[in-house]
Amino acid sequence: MERLIEKWQDKISEVTIGAKKPIKIGGETGIYFIDGEDKCPNPPRVAMEVWDMDPEAWPEALRSSFGKALNDPVEWAKLCADKFSADLICLRLASTHPDTKNTSREEAGKVVENILKVISVPLIVIGSSAPEKDNDVMAYCANVAKGENCLFGIATQNNYKTLAAACLSSGHSIISEAPIDINIAKQLNILICDMQFQADRIVIHHATGALGYGLEYTYSIMERTRLAGLSGDKMLSMPMINFVGQEAWRTKEAKTGQKDTGVLWETATATAYLNSGADIIVMNHPKAVEEIKKTVHRLKA
Amino acid sequence: MEEFKITFLPENKSVHIDRGTDLLTAALKTSIHIYNSCGGEGVCGRCKVIVKKGDYITEGSGRITEIEREKGYVLACRTTPESDMEILVPEESMLGDLEILTEEIKAKRLAGLYTPVEEIEEERHKATAKIFKHGPLSTKIFLKLPNPTIDDNSGDADRLLGEIKKRHKEINIIQMGLSNIKKLPRLLRESGWEVTATIGNRNKTTEVVLIESGDRSKKNFGVAVDIGTTTIVAYLVDLDSQKVLGSKASYNPQVDFGEDVISRIIFAQHEKGLEKLHHAVIDTVNTLIDSLIKEVKLTLDDVTAVICAGNTTMTHLLLKIDPAYIRKEPYIPAVNFMPVIRAAEAGVKINPRGLLACLPCIGSYVGGDIVAGVLASGMDKIKDLSLFIDLGTNGEVVLGNKEWLMSCSTSAGPCFEGGGLKSGIRAMKGAIQNISIKNNLIKCQTIGDLPPKGICGSGIVDIISELLKNKIIDRSGKIKNNKIYNIRDSEGAKEIVLVEAKDSAINKDITIDENDIKNLIHSKGAIYTGIEVLLKEAGLKKSDIKHIFIAGGLGTALNIRSAINIGLLPDLPEENFVFLGNTSVAGAKTCLLSSEAMEAAETIANKMTYLDLSTSASFMNNYSAALFLPHTDIEMFPSVKKILNTV
Repeated sequence: MERLIEKWQDKISEVTIGAKKPIKIGGETGIYFIDGEDKCPNPPRVAMEVWDMDPEAWPEALRSSFGKALNDPVEWAKLCADKFSADLICLRLASTHPDTKNTSREEAGKVVENILKVISVPLIVIGSSAPEKDNDVMAYCANVAKGENCLFGIATQNNYKTLAAACLSSGHSIISEAPIDINIAKQLNILICDMQFQADRIVIHHATGALGYGLEYTYSIMERTRLAGLSGDKMLSMPMINFVGQEAWRTKEAKTGQKDTGVLWETATATAYLNSGADIIVMNHPKAVEEIKKTVHRLKA
Repeated sequence: MEEFKITFLPENKSVHIDRGTDLLTAALKTSIHIYNSCGGEGVCGRCKVIVKKGDYITEGSGRITEIEREKGYVLACRTTPESDMEILVPEESMLGDLEILTEEIKAKRLAGLYTPVEEIEEERHKATAKIFKHGPLSTKIFLKLPNPTIDDNSGDADRLLGEIKKRHKEINIIQMGLSNIKKLPRLLRESGWEVTATIGNRNKTTEVVLIESGDRSKKNFGVAVDIGTTTIVAYLVDLDSQKVLGSKASYNPQVDFGEDVISRIIFAQHEKGLEKLHHAVIDTVNTLIDSLIKEVKLTLDDVTAVICAGNTTMTHLLLKIDPAYIRKEPYIPAVNFMPVIRAAEAGVKINPRGLLACLPCIGSYVGGDIVAGVLASGMDKIKDLSLFIDLGTNGEVVLGNKEWLMSCSTSAGPCFEGGGLKSGIRAMKGAIQNISIKNNLIKCQTIGDLPPKGICGSGIVDIISELLKNKIIDRSGKIKNNKIYNIRDSEGAKEIVLVEAKDSAINKDITIDENDIKNLIHSKGAIYTGIEVLLKEAGLKKSDIKHIFIAGGLGTALNIRSAINIGLLPDLPEENFVFLGNTSVAGAKTCLLSSEAMEAAETIANKMTYLDLSTSASFMNNYSAALFLPHTDIEMFPSVKKILNTV
């Protein structure tokens, strides 16, 4: 029997990130990894997470891969880019949170600047999830990174204006996040675009759930988003990102299980998201990163 | 138990209450009506009063601001006296006059609320009335009976019934009660065998309701009543000439026990709750009838029929039927098709033998007011697909044509009646009903062109549309920063001052804040989703709808363009929308004048299917998509897309 191959009327927008060695994500005209339909010019990419402070809560199984680099974000970023072949670096400015070190925007800006000096792969910068402080820090950092074509996050329905304005004036792309709600995701994209932001500078995040911790919900919302985008909904036709590392390593299994459990958990979660249409997967453990890069390769072949 | 004297200012009415009784209850006892929408649960924050003298215990409430607290503001429902007290009821907490609106100036107050009698007479309703053959609920016929002789020796009652049948060949079965027969021998002989018989249409049979001496066939009157959750409206109708002789409206005093039907059903479960609710509505209906007949110099005996249209809960409360099971699964009312009864049985004061009919209900959440509305709109008579929207608290939507009808209740909330908004009021004198922004200036137009007191439903629709068009708010309803308008922070939400205190009638700024806008977005989203779900269930498209009938409280003053702009109404040509005003009373009147219309109403109720939105799988998803201005999917609103220039 002849196989029915779905023809989609639209394509996912293509977002370019980075200045020295820019990469493209998105641009799909079909569903990933479905034989015959997977017209995906840009394969999914793996970003590795770097903190601007020692992530003390990380389990030993994860910490041991980075050693002393955990205390030096620049070294850590270099390690990820050079040794672990991360496609992108995702800098989390955790130290700026008022409940951690409450570091100033100037200090955060310095870290961004120094990392940009030593890496050639594109940079993602996200805040500390303290809305008011983030607005201050991210606006400053966006300006520091002007011209570097980074991906900044995270814009939410209740807090998007400052970040969007900063990205707009410094030429960065933006991550727009909605709490597993396709309507809110679309509404937020509309609000950002109504600020004269280009649609092809937006990457969607639907809140990531780890395996066993809500993965299915995110998975199906991502599928719906992708199908809507391919069917012509311009406000949902953006590439998607998942923060798999932080979620996988937060699970009880990863924290208390056998040595390899965390890596397996992260790998399994990331593999699922690849299939749901993720374009960037942010990960933590080098071993899991390696596995996922192999998987992308295999799936493509 | 210790008693305290509570005096309410400025009316200077006093009452003695026990320790532990709250001030809202005390006010009710003095028949001072303090605005509240939660029935005294301390939730709505509407019953603010100012303590002038005396000691009291009050529960803290986030509804009272720090500044208000310093001025002595408390929530009446959460405050109990510890000594004699003097309480000032501020203007904004007054429910307004409950007296009947006899004077012309007072009648104007409801001008924005209800279509004037003349308009109803001239417009569609007249056309509708013509469709149905004249045949009122009760008819009076003058009879000259042949005098009995030895040869013509049938009994008095048989003689009377025989004569009626001779005149009305269509009547098959006719009945007469014992009390009438008892009166008959004397009455016939004293009147010289010339009597007027009132025949009533009672549940498909004909009954001799009343026999009077002489010719009184031209003295036959009826009353059509709309029992709304918020307002009660009555028309006095000459059943012979079919003319409306007068109309009167009054607030539904049940509002004192809760603003929506659910809180009233709950109140009915309290001790004597059902009785209180029943008396509240009956007293109002009786007062309305009384004042209507006095105006045209009639007596209660001249009124032989009353027809009421109300939602299912209102109908239950009118008849003093416990509505408890309406809100319990599987949501079954005591009665949908209420038989015609004697008005006196329900406590409605007209001719003691007069009849009371209720428009049939469809189910627990779609009632006789909607059946009346469909009847008045005539949508059940035409081939084209029509949509009927009742912009009230329940927000019922009906889709269909002469073949089929489908309805749902969207629970839109009290927004369109000014409820749940910081500066919201009902459509009364001084309510802002239209607003425009030109050259950065906000211009408000009020009902009666008086200094503004607050914003009513149609005003709120206009405001949101104007704010959106002028990019003062974004499509999620958030107020953007700008320096032109008076924008400030208010308890964590931004608000815009529309009218400054010095220009208002209440000496307070009239504002709209982000929470108000959010409330309206939820209400309009519910109605729009109701429309969408009905269309989807019927497998039809928006463009298939040829007529949209809008009924309810804000109908006459509603700006269609604004309503489309905010996504309340579907984006269809403006000429397809028809305002009908209060269709509930119009439909009731039609049924009062024609038994054929009543049959049509029953057909409508039988034909209409009810769709429970809570069981619809697509409702929640569609609803969250509708919580945006005008909608998450702008392609559904092409004309608005052009105006807003958005994606």
